Amino acid sequence: MQPSAIQPIPPVSLYHTGLLAELRTFWAVVRREWTIFLRYPSWVVAMLVWPVIFPMIYIMSARALAGPQGAGLAVFQLRTGIQDYIGFIAIGTTIWMWQNIVLWDVGFSLRNEQLRGTLEANWMAPARRFSLLLGASAVQMVTMLVFIAVSVLEFGLLYGVRYNGNPLLVLLMLLVCIPSIYGLGIGFASLVIAAKEAHTFVFLLRAMVMIFCGITFPLSVLPGWMQSVASWLPQTYMITGMRLAALGGADFATLWPYIRILLLFGVIWLAIGYTLFAQMERRARRNGTIGHF
Amino acid sequence: MSGWAIEAIELVKKFPRKAAENGDAPKQRKRFFSKKAAPLMFTAVDGVSLQIGQGEIFGLLGPNGAGKSTTIRMLCTLLEPTSGTARINGYDVTRQANQVRASLGAVLGGERSIYWKLTARENLEYFAALYHLPPEIARKRIDELLERVELADRQHDLVEKYSSGMKQRVAIARSMLSRPPILLLDEPTLGLDPQAARRLRELVKELRAEGHTILLTTHYMEEADQLSDRIGIIDGGKIIALDTPQTLKAGVRGTDVIHLEIAGWHQDQEAVLQALPGVSNLISRRTGEEAMHEVSLHAADSRLVLPQVIERVNTNGTHLVNLRVEQPSLEDVFIHLTGKALRD
Repeated sequence: MQPSAIQPIPPVSLYHTGLLAELRTFWAVVRREWTIFLRYPSWVVAMLVWPVIFPMIYIMSARALAGPQGAGLAVFQLRTGIQDYIGFIAIGTTIWMWQNIVLWDVGFSLRNEQLRGTLEANWMAPARRFSLLLGASAVQMVTMLVFIAVSVLEFGLLYGVRYNGNPLLVLLMLLVCIPSIYGLGIGFASLVIAAKEAHTFVFLLRAMVMIFCGITFPLSVLPGWMQSVASWLPQTYMITGMRLAALGGADFATLWPYIRILLLFGVIWLAIGYTLFAQMERRARRNGTIGHF
Repeated sequence: MSGWAIEAIELVKKFPRKAAENGDAPKQRKRFFSKKAAPLMFTAVDGVSLQIGQGEIFGLLGPNGAGKSTTIRMLCTLLEPTSGTARINGYDVTRQANQVRASLGAVLGGERSIYWKLTARENLEYFAALYHLPPEIARKRIDELLERVELADRQHDLVEKYSSGMKQRVAIARSMLSRPPILLLDEPTLGLDPQAARRLRELVKELRAEGHTILLTTHYMEEADQLSDRIGIIDGGKIIALDTPQTLKAGVRGTDVIHLEIAGWHQDQEAVLQALPGVSNLISRRTGEEAMHEVSLHAADSRLVLPQVIERVNTNGTHLVNLRVEQPSLEDVFIHLTGKALRD
C-alpha cells in the first residue's frame, strides 16, 4: 500500500515548547498532587496530629531521666548549651520526620505512578520527565513547610517551647536544608523504580539519621567513630544549625558554617539525584521497566 | 521524509531474561575475579518492519506475548529498540523522541492510565499541560473532547465513579488532546462490555475519517477485521503475514472450517481426527460447561470428511452435540499460519 492521498492533519499543530510550557507542566503537577492530597482527608489529619505524637515518647523519656525536679537538666544544658530540652527534642524529631516523609513521598512518587498505571501516560507526553518529578517534589516541599509551621505552633502551644531566635534566620536555615533533603529524595525515587521495593532502604536511612545525627541527644555522647560518620551527614548540620537558630538565638555569623556546608551538601545531593534519575530513565527505556509492576 | 505516517524497519527488542526464567541454563559457579557472564536474552520483537500510510487503520493482531505491546512501546519512545529504526510522522523514535511524542497520542494500559482521584476534566487539564497546550486552547479542546466522548455531563465526577467504558473514553480523549496525527491504541476494548466496545470502535472509525492514522493492537480478530484497512499478524515477535483482511482470508479460501461441540471429549481423539485424510489444524478448547469441548478443524472439503469425523467422534461415550461449517475468519488465518489458536 502506498501512502494515502488523504490530507493529513497538520502535525503537532498545538505543540509549544519553551520555559513557559515547562512551567505550566510543573504547575499542572503541583495542582494534580494537591488536589489528590486534599481528597484524602486522613492525610490532612495525620499532618496535624503526627508532629505532636512523635516527639512525645522522647520528651517523656527525657522527663523520666531528668530525675526528681529535673535535677539532671543542668547536665543536659551543660552538654548542649541549650536550656529547653523539649525544644531540643522537637527540632530533632521534626527534621527527622521531614527527611522520613520525603523518602516515602518523593522517594516513592515514581513508583506510586507506576503502580497506579499512570507513569507511562506521563512519560509519553512531550513534557520533560524531570519536570514531572520536580513538580511532585515541589508539592511535597510546600506540604512539609505547612507541616513544619503546624509543628512549630503545636510545640509552642502544647509543650510550651519558647523560640528565641531570629525568625528570618530560622527560615534561612529551613531553606538551606531543602536541596539536600530533596536531592536525596529524587535520587531515592530513581533507585526505587529500579529496585521496585525499597522499604528496607528507607528504614536503614532513617535509622542512620536517628542514630548518627542526634535527633534527641547531643552528638558529644556518641563514640568518636560515630561522630565522624555524623559529620558526613547533612542532617547533622540541619539539626544542630536549626537548634542554634531557633533556640540558641544564634546570629548569622554563628550559623554561616552550617549554611555553607548545607549548601555544599545540597549541590552534591541534587547532582546525585539528577544523575541517578537520568541513569534510571535510560535503563528503563532499555529494559522496559517503566511499565513493570 | 518517507511519506509514511509510521515506518518501522527491522525493529528488534531483546530483554535480559530474569534468573527465574533461566531454569534450564547450566549453573555456573561464580568466582570473585571472573568476568561477568553476558545475561541470557529474550527476543520480544524480532525484526518487525511496517509501513503505515496516513489516514490508515492498521491492526496488529496476535496472541498475548506475541510482541504487540513491545512494538507499540518502541514506537511511542517508552522503549529503546535493541536494533532497527522507526519513524513516526517522519521523526526518528530514538533521536527525535520529543517530536515523536508530540506527534502521537497513545492509549496504553487503558483505564489505569488516568488518575481515578481526579475528575475527567481535571485529568484532561493536567495532560493538556503536559502536551504544552496553551490554557485557552486547552479549555476549548477539552470541551470539544468531552462532548465527543459523551462525558460532558459527568465531567466533574471523580473518575473512580465511572464504568470501565467511561474510563477508557477519558483515556482516548487524553490521547487526542493535542490533535495528534497518529494514534496508537493498545488493546483499546479490552475488558469493555459489548456496547462500550462497539461505541469505541465507532469512535476509531470516525477518527480515521478525519485523517488520523491509527495503529491498533488487539487479540480480538473480529475487531481487527472490522476496523483495519490492513492487518499485520504477529507471533513470536515476528510479522508472519501482512495484508488487507480480505486478502489474508482469501489466502485460506478453499478451506472449510468445521466447528464441533462435543460432550465427553478425551484428548486421544485429537490424534484420531488429525489422522483423517483431508483434515488439518485441529484446535480443541474446553467450553464453560462441564466436560464439553469445542473442536475446530480445517478441511479442504467439509462434505467429504464430515461423515468420518462424526463417526469418529461418536465413539467411546463421546457424542457430538452441535456442528457448524463456516468460511475462514482471521483466527483461521492465524491457525493456518501457526498451527495454534489466537487465544492459546
